Amino acid sequence: MAEGGSGVKQRVWDLPVRLVHWLLAALILFSWWSVHNHHTDWHIWSGCAVLTLLIFRLLWGFVGSSTARWTSFIRGPRAVGDYLRGRWSGAGHTPLGALSVIALLGALAAQVCLGLIAEDEDGLYTGPLSRLVSIDTSDKARDLHELWFDVILALIVLHIAAIIFYRLRGRPLTRAMVTGNAILHPDAKPIKPGKWWVALLCLAAGIGITRWIIAGAPPF
Amino acid sequence: MKMRAALIAVPLLLLSGCGGSDTSQANNGQANIANNATPETAKTNGMAMLAVAAPSKERALQIMHDRHEAMEKLGDSMKTLHRALDASPADLSAIRVQTALMARTAAQIPGMFPVGTGPDVGKTRAKPEIWAQQNNFHERSREFLAATLAIDAAARAGDLNKVMALHERVDQACKACHDPFRAPKN
Repeated sequence: MAEGGSGVKQRVWDLPVRLVHWLLAALILFSWWSVHNHHTDWHIWSGCAVLTLLIFRLLWGFVGSSTARWTSFIRGPRAVGDYLRGRWSGAGHTPLGALSVIALLGALAAQVCLGLIAEDEDGLYTGPLSRLVSIDTSDKARDLHELWFDVILALIVLHIAAIIFYRLRGRPLTRAMVTGNAILHPDAKPIKPGKWWVALLCLAAGIGITRWIIAGAPPF
Repeated sequence: MKMRAALIAVPLLLLSGCGGSDTSQANNGQANIANNATPETAKTNGMAMLAVAAPSKERALQIMHDRHEAMEKLGDSMKTLHRALDASPADLSAIRVQTALMARTAAQIPGMFPVGTGPDVGKTRAKPEIWAQQNNFHERSREFLAATLAIDAAARAGDLNKVMALHERVDQACKACHDPFRAPKN
């Protein structure tokens, strides 16, 4: 996705990747709104939905389409350097964009973990795993959960700034995340799509693990 | 502060006589009070303010500080209660300690919010609506007291099922007052 202009229109993002992306965006917005409007219960359910999506995405990163796989986009600093010098042509996340993906998903995962053990200041709402920690730890987790949102916000601002930057340079990244297609460098390797039933299995695992956590992570 | 309260109360009383609400907006020292004020609420405001003279600034800040501490302790009680109920078997003696504490604090809540202890005096999350809608506020504090007395009675009787059921009522009573009358953090 690094090289501009002339190229062939190709599939870069499969449906699961796009759905996860836009659902996460919507759930982050909803989580923020609900907790600021006396709907802490909805906020907790929203967090559980985020958890399900993150588990799904983690698994899809091992068994999904080629551009969704961790091994296809997590690279060392040398690849980032090559990319910055214009020596990179591929389909999917650029070596630099991959860092943003990892940071965003990692920050979200940390936020979910904090939320799971947090409780509200009045003791009315508790994260599903809060009873596994002390009241003090749970209160600290809530404070951190609030502070950590600023980190997520900063990453989102960076993410959107990068999209605007690429847009000004003639690369409509948002369109690709909606349609799944982008104009790629002719040398770029085409996507190897994942299987739909594998995606369903990943989703089932995400829902199953989330339900187990909502139940307070009982022993088997 | 006393003089100020009188200054506010007099026009409000006059106003309750003539039933207009425009003057109350112009004269009212506490922002927002008269925004939704019907003549009835303006009247009760005036009466409440005459009944309880506003405290000195120093005293007001002390009241607000103590209030904050009491509310925080109430939150701690809720958290401890929650865990004591969750424990298997439920920890009845811990439950009793907390429900007794909560009922005692609940009884003090109406007295924790005298006129002149709002956000115009010092740092507090208490909204001006508390004094603008005193009837509503006191109704909710009464429900909280009723809920905590009921759960305390159930705890003393050792009726865990009833404690569980009333726990929800106490939760709702907290929320019913916090949602309209407590400002968000910061």
